[in-house]
Amino acid sequence: MSQQNQARFEEIVERLVELKDTSELMIDLAYSSLLLKSRELAEEVQRLEEHVDKLHTDFELLVLQSEFKKEEAKGFLGLIRLGVATEKIADAAAQISEVVLRGIEPHPVLQLSIREAEETVAYVPVAKDSPLANKTLVEARIPEETGMWILAIRRGNKSIRPKPDSKIEVGDVLIASGYAEGVEDLKKLSKR
Amino acid sequence: MPALEKVRYRPVPVRDLFLEMKNLSELMIDLAYSAALFNDRELAEDILELENRVDTLDYLLEMTIMIAARDAHDAEALAGVSAVASAADKISDAAADIAAIVTQNIGVHPIVSQVFEKVEERLMQAKVSADSSLVGKRVGELDLAARMGVDIIALRRDKDWIINPQKTEHIRSGDVLIVRGVHSGIKEFKELAEQKSRRRGD
Repeated sequence: MSQQNQARFEEIVERLVELKDTSELMIDLAYSSLLLKSRELAEEVQRLEEHVDKLHTDFELLVLQSEFKKEEAKGFLGLIRLGVATEKIADAAAQISEVVLRGIEPHPVLQLSIREAEETVAYVPVAKDSPLANKTLVEARIPEETGMWILAIRRGNKSIRPKPDSKIEVGDVLIASGYAEGVEDLKKLSKR
Repeated sequence: MPALEKVRYRPVPVRDLFLEMKNLSELMIDLAYSAALFNDRELAEDILELENRVDTLDYLLEMTIMIAARDAHDAEALAGVSAVASAADKISDAAADIAAIVTQNIGVHPIVSQVFEKVEERLMQAKVSADSSLVGKRVGELDLAARMGVDIIALRRDKDWIINPQKTEHIRSGDVLIVRGVHSGIKEFKELAEQKSRRRGD
């Protein structure tokens, strides 16, 4: 395989991983929107669904534009199908968030864990002088300091699934859930 | 194609049905990507069986909520449960679609797995070497979630996959483990399983 093709392949797979991560983040957020009765989170899921549609189209175009030999066609079909399945997962997440957006009172059966209804969701931008800036989530110790749990990190038009080694950047919006008093603590940490 | 089982109503709490659907469908996504990327036919076939299981659970759940609805208010709330359950079913369908890439001999281009392993940081497959300190340990005793932020979602012994192994399951030499979790943790775990480096003092 030529070097150019190798680079293209890496780009294709990176897109696929972004699709996969985003669709799984959507599932997490969709269930959270249900649990917390949060229209805002449900709307976030809908927004991500549009983003995934776009990512998916870009992904398919990239796959189709790559040069492949006849005998490689199957492997490329497999890639396309992976993309389609991932898009279906994103659709399913959107379907869950629609229950919230339609104003259906979530049945107690759907209250999935102990982290419950008194909790709220907060959107907190990270300012330039914040002690959180340029730290990883582990280093930032947000749950320990504020009692807030990070659901997602919004960066530009992307949303990132939080991992312990995810780095917080200036301008990020932290989407977090927890009790109201924690929200104030998190806002203080993010400003300064 | 496995024979479809007749679904008869039996009283099971909706919450239990729903939680099992939710957990299975999410587990199936990770398993399905593993099956596709490692081109593992047995695992893919097991995922198709799990898909059947989720379908059955969905039927039972629908039956149960139909019986539970007494008035318009109930019906409104339970329609929401039905919509969410069918979304979980859709997720498991998508996982089965991914597994079918393998069972239908389409496969994913091999170079994808190489690149994927580089960029996907949450999923890893490792074979337990004879010298590994994991050999003989119970899954629960390793306390992986607390120690490294990872968990074992499936384990292959000889030809069979054990999905979501129990805490009491012993790890044997030659087992193939699928592990998901944080990047640093799965790297550490892979070293432990394959015993590539000596164990750092813990």
